[in-house]
Amino acid sequence: MEQLAYVAYGLYLVLILAGGWAAVRCRNLVRSLLGLIMTLFGVAGMYFLMAAPFMALMQILIYVGAVSVLIFFAIMLTRAPGGEAGEEGAGARPALRTVLALLSGLLPAAILAAAIIAKTPPGVALKPEVPLSRLGQFLTGPYVLAFELISVVLLAAMAGAVVLGFERRKGA
Amino acid sequence: MSPLVLFHLAALLLLALGLYGLTSRRTLVGMLISVELMLNGAGLALVASARLTPASDELGQLGTLLVMGLAAAEATLVLAMVLVAAKRWGTSDSDRLSALRG
Repeated sequence: MEQLAYVAYGLYLVLILAGGWAAVRCRNLVRSLLGLIMTLFGVAGMYFLMAAPFMALMQILIYVGAVSVLIFFAIMLTRAPGGEAGEEGAGARPALRTVLALLSGLLPAAILAAAIIAKTPPGVALKPEVPLSRLGQFLTGPYVLAFELISVVLLAAMAGAVVLGFERRKGA
Repeated sequence: MSPLVLFHLAALLLLALGLYGLTSRRTLVGMLISVELMLNGAGLALVASARLTPASDELGQLGTLLVMGLAAAEATLVLAMVLVAAKRWGTSDSDRLSALRG
């Protein structure tokens, strides 16, 4: 059974890697959004693997269901005049820029990877799954302030988005 | 390697991909996609730490839930900002949006 878990881990890792590569490299933004969705499903699979099914379903509901639709709107509404929606301009990638970007991604990752491999404590065996009712009790008990604050943040973000969206009409 | 290390390395992979995308992308929407990748890495690391160490399980999972809520709020706001930038300057190319005074 344990071998099977490693196989599943490898599968999800391949999903994350391939999706992430498409998300950061594809010139067409719709394709890179599809890469992002693939990555999100891979991460959701990892949540399932850690026996946190609530987190996995929330990941699919919030990210795949809401955030990626928002990003799709952003892609479609920002097309350059006369251009195809979501295309990055031609010649957008000088070699120097790619090399520097690779450096800025790999350098912190290498340092952190060395730290993780050297310093991570052995860890415990997987704990039994937390029932959803217990999560709900925590959210309305000790963490009620965070719960209310995130609601206020969401409301503020939504109101801000609406205000920004009406900005042009006021001057006209 | 223990499962804890493996999950953290996967989260680190997401961070590296996101950093690379954030610095190499030219459109604002592409940069938003990279930020979402990094936030996912943060969530994965949080849940892995909560599930595979003696730390509080509920704290890690609810923290990840809050990260997801923040990511949704951030995506909403960034969408509106990108739309305003695209309306005003006719482009969402971060290299051309360099004016400090509107």
